[in-house]
Amino acid sequence: MRPCEMSLAAAADAIRTRRLSPVELVDSVLQRIEEAEPHLGAYVTVVAEQARRAAGEAEHDVAHGRYRGPLHGIPMALKDLIDVGRMATTASSRVRAGHRAAADSTVAARLTAAGAVLLGKTHTHEFAFGLTTPQTRNAVDAGRVAGGSSGGSAVAVASGTATFALGTDTGGSIRVPAALNGVVGLKPTYGLVPRHGVTSLSWSLDHVGPITRKVEDAGLVLTALAGHDPRDPASLPVPAVDYRPGAATDLSGLRVGVPRSYYFDHVHPQVEAAVRHAVAQLESLGARLVDVDIPMTRYIQATQWGLMVPEAGAYHEGSLRTVPELYQEDVRILLEASELMSAGDYLRAQRSRTLMRAEWARMLEEVDVIAAPSVPMPAAVVGQETVTWPDGTVESVSDAYVRLCAPANITGLPALTVPVGHDTAGLPIGMQLLGRPLGEPTLLRVGHAYEQTQPARALARTA
Amino acid sequence: MSAFGLTPPLAARLAARAGLVLPTERHAAVAAVADHIHGVVAVLRELDFAGVPPAAAYRAVEEKETHDAAL
Repeated sequence: MRPCEMSLAAAADAIRTRRLSPVELVDSVLQRIEEAEPHLGAYVTVVAEQARRAAGEAEHDVAHGRYRGPLHGIPMALKDLIDVGRMATTASSRVRAGHRAAADSTVAARLTAAGAVLLGKTHTHEFAFGLTTPQTRNAVDAGRVAGGSSGGSAVAVASGTATFALGTDTGGSIRVPAALNGVVGLKPTYGLVPRHGVTSLSWSLDHVGPITRKVEDAGLVLTALAGHDPRDPASLPVPAVDYRPGAATDLSGLRVGVPRSYYFDHVHPQVEAAVRHAVAQLESLGARLVDVDIPMTRYIQATQWGLMVPEAGAYHEGSLRTVPELYQEDVRILLEASELMSAGDYLRAQRSRTLMRAEWARMLEEVDVIAAPSVPMPAAVVGQETVTWPDGTVESVSDAYVRLCAPANITGLPALTVPVGHDTAGLPIGMQLLGRPLGEPTLLRVGHAYEQTQPARALARTA
Repeated sequence: MSAFGLTPPLAARLAARAGLVLPTERHAAVAAVADHIHGVVAVLRELDFAGVPPAAAYRAVEEKETHDAAL
């Protein structure tokens, strides 16, 4: 196995015990970038020399007893909405031409403090306002969409061109590309990971979180990211927690909610079959399955749009008036249309969110986690705009990808996507685990337990 | 005419009222998208909110924050 193929946890263990040098690991991942990146388009910028220097410093520190922890010497990528001091944060947009970040975002600073090595910045759907990331190709099938908006981050992790990456998630933008590329994605509880220095799409829905190859890896990254920062007004004053899940696979006593409504409606049959098979696996590990009814399903899309569209419009109000022609058409038209929404629309969405949070809290008194598909269908063909379901319903690809993710953004609940198989074309399928606020340890425990019952996954290799 | 009566000229006037002057060639497309969004969010009018407050929340006591904006 090449070092670039190692999981974060395995690489960290090898570095800690001096069986692997950070220089060897970073060189291996940079070599993989040279091989694969021309076919993938995951990166906006690669800072190879900076990464080699940082790896050399990490190697020196580890050799001299200054091991900082499991991220020390681990090469990673940041979605290009995340500020790194003196680098451009392009948001994959011409609007940001000439940009230079004045300082590190909180998450970049925390990863640096933990010893992680920055490889570069990854593509996003422009300003995170979309679900496909058209600059980037799916890691499994280049004719399919990467998913988005954190498409570059997910493809980099799936293909071995980063050992882990960060994404952002406003309506599924970590979970959608993670599911479509066969990797793990965690949208933490709203406010657990500070967003200071991260370009916003929608303040009340935005989250930052890890994309990794293993569930255990997501726990290691979350441990470094979580914690209060007063510069993010939503940041929660929570104590430091070690999120690395334990080795136990016994889920006895755990109540897993299986939705009777919403999450299995208008879902590709092979996605449903793979997720139900994974749920059965949780039951075989001791979990008790409990049917649950998802509340207020008629109002999920309305609430998501009623919050996201006006907030995005407000963020872009200035540049939409000065340089509208620099936006891509799909983003520009949504921003323009956002200007026509009323304060009443926005307040109804906020009040609906109050009701929805209360209803979900009641539902989560009956179960410990909810297990469901992450997205209703595998990666769409590039250029495909709609999907037609067997009952004749036509849905846009973007709406389909947001549909099962939006509840966790509206309610702020944590949600983890874990790979649970492939369709007959070999495209990955993800299972979503949703939990109570600050229930990340439970989600990671369940995901890790499931993962240990499955064969190891190889890197995606279309290139 | 759209489902909710948002004609291209009306869309242009509403945008202008919000301070956004739309080029003529964009009026129809913006009207169509705005109308679609309106159709999606209008379903929230069905809910009986009674005295439910909006979820936008803040803490009355905050630590000192820094903002980029010039005040």
